Amino acid sequence: MSHASNQTNDTAPLRILADQAAVPGIRRALSRRGFFSLAGLAGAGALLAACGKGGSGGTGGGTDTGATATGGKLEDTLSMYSWGDYDAPEVLADFTKQLGPKLVVDSFGSNEELISKLVAAKGTGGYDILVPTGAYIPQMVENKLLMKLNKELIPNIKYMDPAFLNKAWDPKGDYSICKAWGTTGFVYDKTVITRELKTWSDFLDCAQKEASHKTSVLDDPKEITGMYFWANGIDWNTTDPAHLDAVEKFLTGTLAPHIAAFDSNPGTGAIPQGTHALIQVWNGDARQGIIESKKADKWQWVLGAPATELWMDNWAISSTAPHPNAAHAFINFVLTPENQLKNVDYIGYHTGAKDIEEKAKAENFEMLDLVFFTPEQLATMHEGTVNSATERTVDIYNKMKAAASA
Amino acid sequence: MTAALVGPGEGAFAAPDAPSAAQLGTATGSATGSATDSAPPEHRPRRTLLDRTLKIWAILIFAFLFTPIVVIVAYSFNTGRLLAAFTGFGFDSFGALFTKPVVRDAVLVSLKVGVVAAIFAALLGTFAGIALARRPGKWTYWFMGLLLLVAMTPEIVDAVALLPWLVFLGQDLGLGIFNNGIVRLVIGNSVFSIAVVTYLVRARLLGMPENLEEASADLYAPPMRTFRKVTLPLTMPAILAGLLLSFTFSLDDTIVASFVQVSGATPWPVYVLSAVHTGLRPEVAAVSSIMLVITLGALAVVGIVLKRAGDSSAEIASTMAGG
Amino acid sequence: MPRRRLPKYALALPAWLWLIAFFIVPVAVVFWYSFGYKPGLFGSHANDVLSFDRYIEVLTPTFFKTFLNTLQIGVAGTLLCFLIGAPVAYWMALKAPAHLKGLLIALVLVPFWTNFLIRTIGWMIVLSPEGWVSQAFQALGFNPVSILYTRPAVLLGVVYNYLPLMILPLYVAFDRVGVVLREASKDLGASPLRTFTRVTFPLARPGIIVGVLLVYIPLMGDYITATVLGGAKGNMVGQMLASQFQTAQNWALGSAMAIMLILITVGSIAVMGGLIVLGTMPIRRRNRVRLQEVSV
Repeated sequence: MSHASNQTNDTAPLRILADQAAVPGIRRALSRRGFFSLAGLAGAGALLAACGKGGSGGTGGGTDTGATATGGKLEDTLSMYSWGDYDAPEVLADFTKQLGPKLVVDSFGSNEELISKLVAAKGTGGYDILVPTGAYIPQMVENKLLMKLNKELIPNIKYMDPAFLNKAWDPKGDYSICKAWGTTGFVYDKTVITRELKTWSDFLDCAQKEASHKTSVLDDPKEITGMYFWANGIDWNTTDPAHLDAVEKFLTGTLAPHIAAFDSNPGTGAIPQGTHALIQVWNGDARQGIIESKKADKWQWVLGAPATELWMDNWAISSTAPHPNAAHAFINFVLTPENQLKNVDYIGYHTGAKDIEEKAKAENFEMLDLVFFTPEQLATMHEGTVNSATERTVDIYNKMKAAASA
Repeated sequence: MTAALVGPGEGAFAAPDAPSAAQLGTATGSATGSATDSAPPEHRPRRTLLDRTLKIWAILIFAFLFTPIVVIVAYSFNTGRLLAAFTGFGFDSFGALFTKPVVRDAVLVSLKVGVVAAIFAALLGTFAGIALARRPGKWTYWFMGLLLLVAMTPEIVDAVALLPWLVFLGQDLGLGIFNNGIVRLVIGNSVFSIAVVTYLVRARLLGMPENLEEASADLYAPPMRTFRKVTLPLTMPAILAGLLLSFTFSLDDTIVASFVQVSGATPWPVYVLSAVHTGLRPEVAAVSSIMLVITLGALAVVGIVLKRAGDSSAEIASTMAGG
Repeated sequence: MPRRRLPKYALALPAWLWLIAFFIVPVAVVFWYSFGYKPGLFGSHANDVLSFDRYIEVLTPTFFKTFLNTLQIGVAGTLLCFLIGAPVAYWMALKAPAHLKGLLIALVLVPFWTNFLIRTIGWMIVLSPEGWVSQAFQALGFNPVSILYTRPAVLLGVVYNYLPLMILPLYVAFDRVGVVLREASKDLGASPLRTFTRVTFPLARPGIIVGVLLVYIPLMGDYITATVLGGAKGNMVGQMLASQFQTAQNWALGSAMAIMLILITVGSIAVMGGLIVLGTMPIRRRNRVRLQEVSV
């Protein structure tokens, strides 16, 4: 990644809002200011060819390579764009108290929203720290939205468990460090479903029988098609049309009429309120919901089997971060074992730190079997990718929703 | 707090409902006959039965509207981890406003944007509404058509359309003001609000004869003076009503706001939506309760100001409904 | 009026310009996108090749099926809002004490000062199988009930969130009719029913139309309100459109869907409006005569 070198990809059509004739002038003006070039201006994910300097406002940031921060004086402020309520307030306050930079935290609701915004905003968002989910990192790297991390400024990476670093989406760990990870499973109401459910096959079968019209699934195309693939021993990132046809037939024809709701956050309402009998859910969400349920005993958590998902949200830094030094300092700060433990307690997800399970147990956190998993269980979890099947998956999801509403 | 919310409403229903002279006076129908007394006695028993039924129905509907709000206010005293699961009574959740800068900032951004957007929409909408009512012509159809289109465009389309456009204005044309978070959110909220205010003002003026303004002009008052001394006061209740409605819309805007927001300006609804990721805590209910009290206070202030200005609450009411 | 040098629309000029700058232009760009395509995996749209293909792609059985559901929810929701809201508005305008009217109108708006998502959680607490309603039923010896995620729940969510948009215009409509005119009608010997059908209703009709449109139009483009309490049953076209913009990142297809949605909404209003006009033409003609008699 080099700044302002090749401004457009010659093979890619230039896609902009402005009149074609005005493009060269605008492009020059842009590169002078050191912002993104115009290619893909208006479109999320269109090819962005030139990368801006790493920071116009930073005192020591924005190095020659545009790749990373070199260290030096921390900037006065730091801006984080993350999922809402995703860090222990105490950790955030301590950062400012101990290191100085004032922290501004903003929230997004989905990875797509994050990427659309970053691409379309061409660096005007002013964000430093980003927290994307792993599967979206290749897309962000390709669109030059991320800055290479300078690991020298993040020595505390030594506290991380290598098992949660350098995953497939970022094999050298150039751009990301695990922030929190989780997996997908389901909970069921033992007072309604008396048999024992153990696998995704059991889930899909039960949804058509005892739990018909009392089943909720995650409101996410990939998670829904995933259940079928996991149950049937198919790679859930498959692009094979035969597999996609099969999952469409099953979801729209067989499963859809039995689904009561598409709910991505049942832990917030459906589990504590006992709204459904069978609920597909992420582990941390299930844990919150069950802990807070008045009838916690009736809920049984099941980790998806024989295979399931591993999703991981990551610390990353925007390629146009105005405060790269403070951003590195922040990541280094949150990786200390004490702060990771505070975050595990607050958000209920594993942060990928070494030996954190023992520390959490020593603190007597509740229901840790929904936070920490055995190496055997870990081996059954697989990361999702954004691939050529994504559009088809969305199409299947819309068809399923139409079928479920009938 | 619950009592404060519901109390006045219920008091309202308990009040006697015989038509009063004041009520007759506010009727804006085209009838010009003098106000007659109540209906002849022979209608009395049937009307009372019907009136009672209507009143009970209205009370039920108001109770319906307030059901979830009362629940949320009650649950803001929840000391548990999750908003939806009540585990104990306490005031802990109210502390978030002081201990969590993110929450406080989000609320402040929303209030700020709400106020600015409301004032802005009121300004543009008032002028447009006056023009529609007082200077009709062929253009009226085009303008009304535009307002209809504004109402019909799904929010997500507004959102994806507006973001690249604002970036283009801010970055490519170098108009730095469009990189300001508050400005962007105000723009995002303004489009629909302008349509609503325009509509309210137009409705208000259409129901009023133009005699006063004509008289003023005939007496050689300059147009600006006529506008300030006659048209504006006539329109004032509609403008204030428009302010309130725009503020209300602004407070609940999520989709457009999530797209156009920039660093340091996450509005409250966007924060709430993204916080679902890790489970909504009781503090969002507490903050909602506080915001409710603040907005109620603002409403009370507007009401008092209007009363001082000599406008009856009934008139404000009829304008707010826009018709 | 002397001194009318400015064009008639001069006062509306700021609003014109503003709406053109921040509504027409950006939305026109989205309209333009609808003739483009999605270029590859990580791109969201390109317009170097133009076609109507996206519009053809929109017209799938899924779209029609979803649209039908949307139309059902839209029409049923609007009708229910009217049936529930009209008596309330009528009472507020013609029966409630005058000095309380302002307060009552404010009370219609107050619930909407609480965030949408939080209001929804309020409802879930009330309606879930372990919620208050269900517990009350159980205390009385019935089985636990849950209306969440059923057809009625879809309508409950819609009616709750759109009711104020119906009540407010209806209130003004009835308020305009006023007590005086109705008393006059009665004094002239008309029965209450006749007064309502011949005086109140015809005079309130513009307000009724406004209320119906204010609920129906935004509801057709909505995709969240119906699902929060209604779950899978509340699926609407807006959801398909949003999933194209958000998850699939196919802006061209999403834009085409948006244009289709707007066209169909306008079309359905035109059809319904036409039917109503045709259906009430004879009545209207008679009423006009009557009204003149009454109001002179």
